[in-house]
Amino acid sequence: MIAYAIRRLLYVVIVVWIMSVLIFAITQALPGNVAYAILGQFATDRQIAELELLLGLKDPWYVQYWRWFSRLLHGDFGQSIIMQRPAGPLVLEAFGRSAILAGIALTLVAISGIWLGTHSATHRGTLSDRVLTLAQYFFIAVPEFFWAILAIILFSVWLGWLPATGYTPIGDSGFGRWLVHLILPVATLVTGLIAHVSRLTRSSMLETLRSPYVLMARAKGLPERLVLRRHALPNALLPTITVLAVDVGILIGGIVVVETVFAYPGLGRLLIFAIEHHDLPLLQAGMMVVTTVYALANLVADLLYAWINPRIRYGGRVA
Amino acid sequence: MTARANPVGILRAGRLPPSLVMGGIVVALLVALALLGPWIAPYPFDQFNVRARFSPPDAQHWFGTDEFGRDVLSRVLVGARYSLLIGFGASALSLVLGVPLGLVAAYRRDVGGELIMRAVDVMISVPPILLGLLILAVTPPDIWKTILAVGIVYVPIMTRITRSVALGLLAEDFVQAARARGESAFYILFGEILPNAWPPIIVETSLRVTFAILLGSALSFLGLGAQPPMSEWGLMIAQSRPFIEQAPWIGLAPGIVLCILLVSVNLVGEGLREALDPRFAERGSP
Amino acid sequence: MTAAPILAVEGLSVSYATARGRLAALDDVSFAIPRGRSLGLVGESGSGKSTVILALLGLLGAGARTGARSAVFMGGDLLGKEAPNRRGDRIGVVFQDPGAVLNPALTVGLQVAEPLMVHRGLARGAALERAAALLGEVGIHRPAEMARAYPHQLSGGMKQRALIAMALSCEPDLLLLDEPTTALDVTVEAQILDLLQAERERRGLSILFVSHNLGIVERLCDELAVLYAGRIVEQGPTAAIFRQPRHPYTKGLLGALPRLDRDRALRLVPIPGGLPDLTRPPPGCNFEARCPFAVAGCAAPQALQPQPDTVRVRCHRSRELEGKAWPVESASPAQARRAAGEPILEADRLSKTFPLGGILSRLRFEGGLPRLGPPAAVRAVDAVSIAVRSGQVLGVVGESGSGKSTLARLVLRLLEADGGALSYRKRPVARVPDRGFRRHAQIVFQNPESSLNPRKRVSQILARPLALFGVAGGRDLAARIDRLLELVRLPASYRDRYPHQLSGGEKQRVSIARAMASEPEVLVCDEAVSALDVSVQAAILNLFADLRDELGVAYLFISHDISVIAHLADRVAVMYGGALVEEGALTEVLRPPYHPYTEALLSAVPMVGSRERAAQRVRLPAEAAAPGAGCRFAPRCPRRIGTICDAVPPPAHEPAPGHRIACHLPLDQLAALAPALGGMESSHPPG
Repeated sequence: MIAYAIRRLLYVVIVVWIMSVLIFAITQALPGNVAYAILGQFATDRQIAELELLLGLKDPWYVQYWRWFSRLLHGDFGQSIIMQRPAGPLVLEAFGRSAILAGIALTLVAISGIWLGTHSATHRGTLSDRVLTLAQYFFIAVPEFFWAILAIILFSVWLGWLPATGYTPIGDSGFGRWLVHLILPVATLVTGLIAHVSRLTRSSMLETLRSPYVLMARAKGLPERLVLRRHALPNALLPTITVLAVDVGILIGGIVVVETVFAYPGLGRLLIFAIEHHDLPLLQAGMMVVTTVYALANLVADLLYAWINPRIRYGGRVA
Repeated sequence: MTARANPVGILRAGRLPPSLVMGGIVVALLVALALLGPWIAPYPFDQFNVRARFSPPDAQHWFGTDEFGRDVLSRVLVGARYSLLIGFGASALSLVLGVPLGLVAAYRRDVGGELIMRAVDVMISVPPILLGLLILAVTPPDIWKTILAVGIVYVPIMTRITRSVALGLLAEDFVQAARARGESAFYILFGEILPNAWPPIIVETSLRVTFAILLGSALSFLGLGAQPPMSEWGLMIAQSRPFIEQAPWIGLAPGIVLCILLVSVNLVGEGLREALDPRFAERGSP
Repeated sequence: MTAAPILAVEGLSVSYATARGRLAALDDVSFAIPRGRSLGLVGESGSGKSTVILALLGLLGAGARTGARSAVFMGGDLLGKEAPNRRGDRIGVVFQDPGAVLNPALTVGLQVAEPLMVHRGLARGAALERAAALLGEVGIHRPAEMARAYPHQLSGGMKQRALIAMALSCEPDLLLLDEPTTALDVTVEAQILDLLQAERERRGLSILFVSHNLGIVERLCDELAVLYAGRIVEQGPTAAIFRQPRHPYTKGLLGALPRLDRDRALRLVPIPGGLPDLTRPPPGCNFEARCPFAVAGCAAPQALQPQPDTVRVRCHRSRELEGKAWPVESASPAQARRAAGEPILEADRLSKTFPLGGILSRLRFEGGLPRLGPPAAVRAVDAVSIAVRSGQVLGVVGESGSGKSTLARLVLRLLEADGGALSYRKRPVARVPDRGFRRHAQIVFQNPESSLNPRKRVSQILARPLALFGVAGGRDLAARIDRLLELVRLPASYRDRYPHQLSGGEKQRVSIARAMASEPEVLVCDEAVSALDVSVQAAILNLFADLRDELGVAYLFISHDISVIAHLADRVAVMYGGALVEEGALTEVLRPPYHPYTEALLSAVPMVGSRERAAQRVRLPAEAAAPGAGCRFAPRCPRRIGTICDAVPPPAHEPAPGHRIACHLPLDQLAALAPALGGMESSHPPG
């Protein structure tokens, strides 16, 4: 198990490193942009050339890359062109706020998705199962940004219950107001994902309930409760862990959209801002943080899976 | 036992699953609308009519008008082609690139195949939307780049799925029999494996269409896909945001139609899976 | 006065809902098991035998309708409402595939302890302790350790023992077993059967044993019921039925078995046809369509009639057919002994080793430091030399892990060998062989389900090799295809069928036709009949024999079943752990002197008519340590001399020309071993 964990960790390191090369390569593809972006559209060619020299933009790309990467490793994320401030703290602060959204959303998705899926599977064919299945189809198919719009129309415009945009830090107006600003974004994030997870849990559960070892458990005369809890559920949940890891990726995508719609000051919105304003250092820093976080999330999921699955945790034959 | 394809002939009209039929009809309808859009639209999609701006849905403007007085219905009709184009175009691209890569990766268990799979693993490690953002961030965006970006984003997963299907088939004895005849790799891949591999691949591609449409419209919503004055649905919804309170129909109309499209494409995907997955065909006694 | 039977079932019927209608899986099945006795339920696939067990336990799905006139277990109604409590408590079950039936996420000990916790109210700790003790009772070494292990860490035999422990945990009165040894090797199977017999005697268990293997049933069961297509066709004491089968199906089954003690010149009984359509069960005899003795009266409903010896038969002609065997065509005249031709395919010290895991899996931590361990590997085939001679059948017998399937692939260059040479007609075969070699050396696989491309019609499947090797083309092609179909006894109309429209036996015939299309000189048959029912197997074995006689094809015939090999092979090679331990003419290998492994293998085979052999059985210990540089069998060998067996590769004795045994034991000791087959092999003509 330890060997497995180390192998996976090495793998994460390699992936993050490759992504850094990719991010750098893609964003620095047109060096002219950077200087242009800094100086604005009225800069003369000579000013641009001078700045390029100053910023080392004429050096070969691998030199530039190494410069950027080594600074990154020292914690220096560069300077945001637009905001004229170090990118690092900006990104990390925004990340913190996004992480709150993501964390709450993921927890809700995991709990409700698994519960609904299990309920559906054990009450297969009943009205609740059919209703849920039908609902799943729709929920999966609706795009997040549209949910957001619908939510705003319903809860903000018509009912006026919840604020449409904005964010207030806890310190400023207290826990209640802070929470209220979170409700719509989180709700928008979770709808599609709950449907996804519950659908998968349902089919995984159904398959597990048809398996020979569940038959054996029943043949031993175990009460159905015990069969479900001890025999079926642990095996049925293994694929769900894998899916939750994939869902973190979808969640990240959803966060970008949701933060834009609700003007929530998180990392997603920051990235869009950086793209719109060609703020390359900010963009690079933001992308690196997201990629690393996603890679780590996958690592955690893999390790969790390996921990729970005895086949991986305890290797080969004993007798 | 690997889930093998249903033999030819199972897709007889009488036995088509209802989801496939329903979804298929709606999708066909929308495709027709997309193709005929500009001709059946009551008004040109970019015709300003400032006096009629923000009019709610009525007899002259079934879906109302937007902030420039443009007829929303016409814009929706014309915009259908973009969503469909992104959806089918990007999926086709991922199919054309991903399937051969997957077949090769399955057949060649050597460095070449491993390299392909490592590259796939790395790309899958990036959330799709970020990959799309990355690709689109650096050049002026337009709809063709969106199709390209979305297509590339989904190549890794098509590769992975093709590879796993192909690996399962490679283990079957009829492939070993072909090797025992000294058949070439080309024949084995295209003559023995592909005919059995295409049903799960088709099912997966149809799912990709749903995701491609979603991703494409999300990117347009964020301003990185189709550009104004194109009436791509995601873009329309984005542009409707400032006017949500006074004229919600500007955003609701394209949104609802988008949802209808997505649900039907999803149904078609599910229906295909039901029709083509042998496990579903063999429902019956234990 | 006989005590009340522990289980008495009258008129059990089960039907399922399927896409094509209601399928009658069981029809009016009645039987009784007296206390302390065992009943064997015999049938092939589709007979409904597994359904009986599931029905008794009430474990059939919602789509099944179960009904019985009465089903009484220990005085109580089995199919009534309180039945579930009997499961696991008074009734224990052992299913077929231990790997599938044990929950991979729970420890073995916990699974064995569960019935104790639920039915006996034991606390978890006490139950686990008792479970460990039970594991010891069923012959598992280091039971406390094994109890903490997970199923995937145990071998097949160990898992099955654990299942038996699980079934016996609450000291049930009745034990139900569904093909408990089918998934196990012969030597392991023998151990499990010994265990079952011992437990039965110890606890006075009553047993219901479901199997398709007549040899096992004869050994273990006092009474027998033969099931065909959901109906019991013959029922009574085992000995009486085997001595004189009365129902045509039973006669057919017994006649279809390849037996070590039967004259192999006789053809096996291939019961033609297939199961009737159970969604429309025939009102009369359900075996009529396949029965050689059918007359007009068979269309009327048949009831079980009592016969002498307390046997009951569902056949109105059973008295007049008494003593009549199933009519079999006489063997073809080309049965005359063929002289062994010159060697066609020769393998010289072929070896193959499979590495396990990649570079990162060798990463270990010793003393806190990362270290790269040696690559773990499995020696699948270890310097094996064999020769297939023209017109001759070389049988290769071995259990799982013996390397016989790997050898089959090495010999055809489907796998690259790590060492050794291969030559065809004295010319070396390249790593990527040319067309000529491919044409003349073909293969038939074990699993009919995966042998044919599901998307191609039979005609396309057969046309490909014909075209590829230039055997026939153009207009000739169609005629050739028809001839191939005729060769394997399939009607020409089958050419337009898809594989899913063929039965298992028919698919296997098409595979054989495909292999024969290029007119090969050598046919490698890798367990080609192992996945088939007995009756279908018989037909395919007959086909192989015919092809051998008519066309002079040489076979490399691989099987784990020595009876099958004995029916077809002229020479036999015995493999264990990747090495060849004995090789020689069939009759020589079946008689001492033999290799200790051959001895153990032969004594473990359950054979009809061999009940008395049980006492002399050579018992092998369970899987032991990995072999060293010496004899591969040494860790398990009951006749192991000492460290010489572990360290030094054994020399080859040659008691007769062409008969080689690799063993450290001196030849005279090997010759003095008691015959494992109890003198039954003597009916094989020498040569």
